[in-house]
Amino acid sequence: GNSKSTQFDLKTYWTTLMSEINQKLDQAISIQYPEQIYEAMRYSVLAKGTKRAPPVMCVAACELFGGNRLAAFPTACALEMVHAASLIHDDLPCMDDASSRRGQPSNHVVYGVDMAILAGDALFPLGFRHIVYNTPSDLVPESRLLRVIVEIARAVGSTGMAAGQFLDLEGSPNSIEFAQEKKYGEMGECSAVCGGLLAGAEDHEIQRLRRYGRDVGVLYRVINDILEARTTSKEDENKKKKGKSYVSLYGIEKAMEVAEELRTKARKELDGFEKYGERVEPLYGFVDYAAERGFSLES
Amino acid sequence: QEEQNNSTPSFDFKSYMLQKANSINQALEAAVSLREPAKIHESMRYSLLAGGKRVRPALCLAACELVGGNDSMAMPAACAVEMIHTMSLIHDDLPCMDNDDLRRGKPTNHIVFGEDVAVLAGDALLAFAFEHIAVSTLNVSPARIVRAVGELAKAIGAEGLVAGQVVDISSEGLSEVGLEKLEFIHVHKTAKLLEGAVVLGAILGGGTDEEVEKLRKYARGIGLLFQVVDDILDVTKSSQELGKTAGKDLVADKVTYPKLLGIEKSKEFAEKLNKEAQEQLAEFDPEKAAPLIALANYIAYRQN
Repeated sequence: GNSKSTQFDLKTYWTTLMSEINQKLDQAISIQYPEQIYEAMRYSVLAKGTKRAPPVMCVAACELFGGNRLAAFPTACALEMVHAASLIHDDLPCMDDASSRRGQPSNHVVYGVDMAILAGDALFPLGFRHIVYNTPSDLVPESRLLRVIVEIARAVGSTGMAAGQFLDLEGSPNSIEFAQEKKYGEMGECSAVCGGLLAGAEDHEIQRLRRYGRDVGVLYRVINDILEARTTSKEDENKKKKGKSYVSLYGIEKAMEVAEELRTKARKELDGFEKYGERVEPLYGFVDYAAERGFSLES
Repeated sequence: QEEQNNSTPSFDFKSYMLQKANSINQALEAAVSLREPAKIHESMRYSLLAGGKRVRPALCLAACELVGGNDSMAMPAACAVEMIHTMSLIHDDLPCMDNDDLRRGKPTNHIVFGEDVAVLAGDALLAFAFEHIAVSTLNVSPARIVRAVGELAKAIGAEGLVAGQVVDISSEGLSEVGLEKLEFIHVHKTAKLLEGAVVLGAILGGGTDEEVEKLRKYARGIGLLFQVVDDILDVTKSSQELGKTAGKDLVADKVTYPKLLGIEKSKEFAEKLNKEAQEQLAEFDPEKAAPLIALANYIAYRQN
């Protein structure tokens, strides 16, 4: 319930994990020859202002079932690597043609389009490599690791985020909901599910995490759109590509309704984890954070 | 070439390769089905099913057989290696990279589907390669499948295939590229994935650590051999076509083994690589090693 989640200090939980994950990512990509590719990879993975939401959700889902967070860290880092790879490729001139991300020049602006493509191509396998060579084998059996690998591969693949990006580029009006759900829902779903898989959760629990993670991911996006619409003038709004946001598609009223529905749905899924006691609280916290942005995160 | 026939009298390499290519093509066709969104899957299939000799997947299957495994164990990995190879070609051909319009006589992927779809199709093939090994490998323990996934990831990332591409790109137009750098490019751009193909086959087929390492050495040798022979063919072909234009390779902007070593020394180097690669196979059953011996000779003595 609400009173519980106010007692739990999500901000401390999140920032503690964030700094641990940042440190592990820093170690995971050390610069060697040929230096420029490692620099390009580091530039995006270690960019300032990344909240590390996917890895933190992965760790929290693992801990929900009593899993050791050490079992989840390598996969948590891999989620950031493949996520960064997707974003680098999404920003390319032939894709969204975005020259900046989080207030910094995009990868291809700094390192060139060729290096940006290769940095993405190297970050995808680095994620899988990192999971295989760094997950403590005494904590996670190989059969679980295989399921995690499949989960991540599907999330970024031709029916996951790549499909979302494609539908986004196509821009046909009825595909918008699908496109945004693919791009944001997929990462949330994958993060929650991977944490559960690593801890050995039951299949019905994995299904619950799947729906929860997707709802939180989409909720986060819808709220982003609402916040942006409130601070953006009409003129700027028109400049944006048509139909890229819930607000421009449905209007602010409807977007807020959608957000409220997602929030309720996500919390209801968590009610099914009651038997795990207070370990579920970080997951409630993510729902509230996605909806309210109750605090700011600085790395 | 005499030698090649004497050492493996009963082995018909041509029909072996045709039969393997056939089953590999069928497996690839089945693996990447036409799903929604159709255009991405069409784009993936366009390049993946465009033909080619399927040398990499054949190496994977042959290594698996050599250590006592069968095709069901290594076919998904063989397909995965071909997906990665295809993905690297799609991205290599992009305007911001090599800017090629044609590959194997057909328009390149981005010419047909657009650059955006070509980037996404490559990314999707990369991801699917890992999914396919993890989901579709049969009769192999999870421990070995995980090991194979790790090997593949190492072979194609920033310490493998991508490293070769990066050094290749940054060496373009440089007048001084030494032997060491040339070898770095070829070992990473070509040999790493060949090594991955062989090592994955050996791991999934149930090879011992010692067998896996022997086959790794074999694969490293033929991977480099592949490129040295390519360079030699480049020179010998152009001198046939253009008559005696001694030194033409010296003014070409691409660095090659003949340019750095001379043609005779390059041929000697190729001989040495082939011999050393085949030595790694000496302790295996000669009949079972026949396909890998023939593949090494094929790479060494091919005329194109």
